[in-house]
Parts: sequence; structure tokens; C-alpha cells
Amino acid sequence: MIYFDNAATTKPFKEALETFNTTSEKYFYNTASIHQAGKNAAKLLEAARKQILDLMYLPDYDLVFTSSATESNNIAILSTLRHKKQFGKTILTSELEHPSIVNVLAEMKDEGFIVKYIKTTSVGKIDLEDFKEKLDSDVIFVTTMSLNNIIGSVQPIEQMVKILEDYPKAHFHVDATQGIGKTDIDYKGVDTISISAHKFNGVKGAGGLFVKTLSNLHPVFYGGGHEYNVRSGTVNLPGITAMTKALRLTLEEARSVNIRLNDFNGQIRDAVKDLKSIKVQPKDAPYIVNMSFVGAKGEVVVNALSKRGILVSTTSACASRLAELNETLLALKNPDDVIEGSIRISMGHYTTQDDVDALVTALKSVYEELGDVLK
Amino acid sequence: MKFDHILIRYGELTLKTKNRMMFVYALRDRMRKALKGFDVDVKANRDRAYIEINDEDPHQVIDKLMNISGILSTSPVVKIEKSDEAMKETVMKFAENIKAGETFKIEVKRADKNYHLDTFGVQQLLGGHVMSNTEHMTVDVKNPDYKIMVEVRQDAIYMYYESIKGLGGLPLGTGGKALLMLSGGIDSPVAGIDVMKRGVEIEAIHFHSPPYTSPQATDKVKKLVDIMSDRTGFDIKLHIVPFTELQTTIYDKVPDNLSMTSTRRIMLRIAEQLAKNIGGEAIVNGENLGQVASQTLTSMYAINEVTSMPVLRPLLTLEKNDIVKMARKMGTYETSILPFEDCCTIFKPNAPKTKPNLESVKKFESGVDFDSMIEKAIENIKIYTPNHKVEAEDDFSDLL
Repeated sequence: MIYFDNAATTKPFKEALETFNTTSEKYFYNTASIHQAGKNAAKLLEAARKQILDLMYLPDYDLVFTSSATESNNIAILSTLRHKKQFGKTILTSELEHPSIVNVLAEMKDEGFIVKYIKTTSVGKIDLEDFKEKLDSDVIFVTTMSLNNIIGSVQPIEQMVKILEDYPKAHFHVDATQGIGKTDIDYKGVDTISISAHKFNGVKGAGGLFVKTLSNLHPVFYGGGHEYNVRSGTVNLPGITAMTKALRLTLEEARSVNIRLNDFNGQIRDAVKDLKSIKVQPKDAPYIVNMSFVGAKGEVVVNALSKRGILVSTTSACASRLAELNETLLALKNPDDVIEGSIRISMGHYTTQDDVDALVTALKSVYEELGDVLK
Repeated sequence: MKFDHILIRYGELTLKTKNRMMFVYALRDRMRKALKGFDVDVKANRDRAYIEINDEDPHQVIDKLMNISGILSTSPVVKIEKSDEAMKETVMKFAENIKAGETFKIEVKRADKNYHLDTFGVQQLLGGHVMSNTEHMTVDVKNPDYKIMVEVRQDAIYMYYESIKGLGGLPLGTGGKALLMLSGGIDSPVAGIDVMKRGVEIEAIHFHSPPYTSPQATDKVKKLVDIMSDRTGFDIKLHIVPFTELQTTIYDKVPDNLSMTSTRRIMLRIAEQLAKNIGGEAIVNGENLGQVASQTLTSMYAINEVTSMPVLRPLLTLEKNDIVKMARKMGTYETSILPFEDCCTIFKPNAPKTKPNLESVKKFESGVDFDSMIEKAIENIKIYTPNHKVEAEDDFSDLL
């Protein structure tokens, strides 16, 4: 099986798994225990926290460890909105968000908030002019992902931070889940930032929320007061140390990995450019190629590739069982048949030239097999 | 530009005429201690010291000297032989670091009055040489962006840009000895170093009440002593007093709202006795007027009553923020804020008196034989000497 679904999840680094095991054996203690072993575990936790903040160039931020980016997003949104209600009602977001944002915001609408969507440019980026236009003194929350999970478009986070300097009331949340190691965004100035370990070769069940001003954050569920009382629950130290290791390795190798993936990205686009029923989405981050077999259903293409030993996905694994049309591709004004026929090929740290060759062969063979239905 | 020496200028030491070399050697030894681990050679003369730094980073070396009292200032310098040619060659290296559009000035000190050029002559020689060999430089004698300093001395010529201010003060050992009351908080280490700046040697006293206080609380104080010793280049001896019996007795016999005052009085009595035993002439603490209940004037009056020894309070009127800044600068802050219970926080009464009545405190104390308990506590003091190697942080680098 050849894996091209790295935007859904990644294979953990061997080193991260070793860290996971060592931590589980030697530091299984509860970081909140006051005996010596618990204190050592707490020291390890703090060392991990410091290292992650340093790696992200956010030394003055705090970091709350969570179980996932979904949890981080929920905490950021629920905690902030509940305490900002009195200052305004408007939330600005992009049309490109992940269900863990979209669905929470839908809940918030029921609580009386107004959600406005910032327009998207033709290459899948937030339209900054439209953003400026929609900003007003009623806006209390702005949220966007740093890198879109469907087509890999990188969002202008730094410019948005600049623009928001004039709107101190608005909390800026960024879902950086896909962005780690894929792009060089400077997150300084963003109020809260979500990450998830399994997207950068860590293990599942570990995530984080970076926080500029910790006192603005309040618990959304209650317990023993772990993680600054924002996220109670015994701390998942093995997952966290493995995430720390994975983040270090990812960022250390990001440059060379991205150069290689950029080359692969070009090869894949080249291979299909003469196949007239294939429409490829614009390129940004090198690890994603989103293409549509126009006339076929994406699911059929995924299955046909799977039969050939190639694992890709339709839109996103998190939403692929929803029958609705993908919102990102809709926002890019793709016709319905392009959206229905789209697949996402996402590469990662372990993707090799052989994998790409096999993918190209399989894409061509599926194209022939589906010949009759393609438009 | 590669600097090969650090120039050390002495502080008020130059005012001392008698025993001067003794102070110079004491200062030299402390610099050597503070620079342990660096590949350097410290040589102290009567009027200044030079540190040969080999391949070490001059600013890292200077950073280690920032808390040693008696150092007025330091400069990274280049040492050159006494010839016009050598000066001309070196001054060009200094000039290369100056960017186009920036101005410079050459300042000369000529301690060797026998050098064949006088001050003005050296200035002209080097200024002229720089101007005729570069195109980008402009002289500005009033407000130059860069000063190139040249000192012509008996042994050699020294060239440098900057003087970095040191701690100043008097070298340790010139001001007698005092005992520092070290709780483990933010203030007392700062108070200790402040007094050391005036040439006073210190030893430290700390009270622990096992099992109410944890070994970590004591370790924390040991670490503070390590850091302070590391920063000052002077081994601060720590006396750890077992305080459990006294503390529980006070808790039993003295009413809750006066127990804090009594505790402080007993501590001060023990400190006075120990200070006398070690040849000290004063007690130092980190008290700050009005900061907590025991640090109001009325409290100080009631507590201080037990001793006639001077109690030095160098932080008395400072702002808490400034104390925190000083602690951060010294590197004790991070250790001070570690959350281990000390004896003061565990037995802290709910509503300590900010205006304790001395007579009633005395009345309650008179019913108890504290003298013998104090004697016993002093007999059982444990001494910790700093190992100078500030405990390395646990190394998780393989794991993370």
C-alpha cells in the first residue's frame, strides 16, 4: 500500500514512538502529583512546553496541551465567545474552514452570534480587501486556518495580524493544524493557535493551543485544574513528549522535505496535464495536489486507486462521509461536477520517488478505465 | 574583529591605599572562580586586571563578571605591541566594522609618558591613517557613532570600542561579615548580593521544619546559594536550622494572630546567636516596608526588639517590581518562584497582626522555655557549602 493521504494523518516518526515508549515507562507518573516522581514528570512536561514554544518562535506565549486540534478549536471559540458576548456579536471566518470550526460556529449562531464569511480569491486565499470591508467594531472573533486542508492554500496570517492591530477587541484564532512544517508563517500576534501532533508525524491524541494572553482563556469543561485550569484531565505526557520530538524533527527537516515534495508535486501535475478530463486545483503548499476526474465521482476514483494499492482521499477524511459538496471547492467557484469528481493527493515525510512513479502510473490507468464516464 | 583580552577596571578599590594588593588578589581569585570552565587567564595588576580570553566569546566572559563587586567596568580589547605600525594595522581592523555614513573619533590615553608620540601625535597618526585608507568614514569629535579608544601603557598598547559598566562597589572582604536570612523567596537573595556589593562577606541562614517543609524547599535554598555564589564568585556558606520544635511550640502556646511575630522574634534570636558564632557583625534580610504583615513598622519594632545587632534591610524602600528585575538579572528569580512551601507559608496564621503589641507577645513567650530550644536548634545546624556548579537542569534532550 502506498500512502498519499498525509493531510488526513501521518505515520509517526520512529523517534517519536521511542520517546512515547520511554516516557510511558519512565515518566508514567501524574504530573500533578507532589511526590518526587510526579515532580520529575512535571519538569519533563515543562521542558516539552518550552521546547515547543521555542520551536514555534513564540517564546512569550503559553501553550495549553489538549487531545486534538478539534479540542483546541473548541476551547478557543467557546471560551472566548462566552466572555466577549457583551462587546459584540459578529464573528468573521473564511469559507474554507474545517468542521471543527464550522460546526462550533453553527452552534454559536444559535446563541445569538452573527457569522460572516470572508470572500476567497481564485487561488483559495482569504480576500484581504473583503476582510477589511467586513471588519467593524462589532467583530469580536476572527478565525481561519493557516493552510487549507483541501487544496493546500496558505493564508495571509501575517497581513491579517497587521490589519487586526486596529481592532484590539477582535480575538484572532488560527487553526494551524495543516500548516506545521508545510509553510513558514510567523504566528506572532495571533491570539490563539491550534495544532495537532498526528499531522506532523507525532502520535494521535495530543494537540495544543498556543495562547497569547492566558488570562483571557477560561475552561469549557471542569475538573482538577490541569493545564492552567483551562484543560483539566490527567496530562497525556507520552503523547506530548512524542509530539515535541516530532515537531523538532519536522521543523529541522522541513526545508529539504518541502523541496523534495515540491518536485513531486510538479511531476504529478505534469503527468495529468494532457488528460483533458482532469482538472487540477491551483498549487500552493507543495504537499497537496487536488484534482478532479470530471464526470466521475471522487469516491469511485479513490476506490479504483485503492484497488491499485494507492491510498488517497476524496475531500477530507473528516468530512468525506458527508454527502454535501465540499465548501472549499465551492468557494473557489468550481462547477458541481468538478467538486464531485475531486480527489486529494497529499504527500508527507515518507513519500518517495518510487511512490510518485506508482501514483502516476495508477492515475493514468484509472483514467483509462473510467474513460467512458469522463467528460 | 577578534578581541584577545578583557580589560578590568577596579571600583572604589583605588581609594584604598593600605592592603591594596590583598584586595586585588581577593578580586582576582573571585574572577577566576566565576570564570571556571572558561579557557581564560586572569592577571591582576595594582591598578587594573587583564583576562586573556583565547577563543572564548568576550561578552560571555564579561557576563560572568557582572555581579562581582569591586569591578567598575570592563572592555573587550586588542593587545598590540608598542609600535606605530602595529597601531596602524589594528586601527584599520576597527575601522572595517564601522559602516558607511557613521562617524568616528579616536581617543587616546597615554599612560606611558615615554612613548615617542604624545596623545595628540597618536590621534593624528591613527586618524590620518584611517581617513586616507578608507572612503566611507567621517570624523566627528563631539558626537561620534564610534569611539576607537587607544591606551598606550608601559607593557603594551590596548585598543577597544566600549566600556561595559560593572557592579561597582567595594571588593568583598573589605567590609566585614554579615549573616543573611534566606527564606527562599525573591527578596532575600537580592538583599544579600546588595550588601556584598559594599564589600561585606555573607553567610546565610535558613529555617526548615520537616516534615512540614519538603526537602525540595531546602534544595531550592541550596540552589539559590549556588547561584549567588556562582554569580559573585564567593562561596556563601548556608546554615540550615531545624525549626520544627520551635515552630510547633509557638503554634501551641502563642495565639494565632501573634504567632507570626513570635516566630520572627525567635528566628532573629537564632540568627543573632549564629552571627556572633561566625564572627558576623550584622544581620541582613530582604524586608521591604509594608510588603507583608511582618514588615510593617510596628511589626519590625516588635520583632527587632530581641536584638541589638544591626539588622540591614537594603530593599527597605524599593518597589517590588524593581526587586523582581534585580532578581531576574541575578538569575535567582526562576528558582525563587518555585512553588515549595517554606515554614512561613505553612504555619501562616489566618489574620496576622499588622500592629502586634510587643507587651502581649512578650507575655505569651515568657511562659515557655524557648532558650533551651534555641540552643538545641543552633547545635543541630547543618552546613551546606555551595559546589559552585549550579545544578544542571534535568537533561531531557534525548527524549524531546
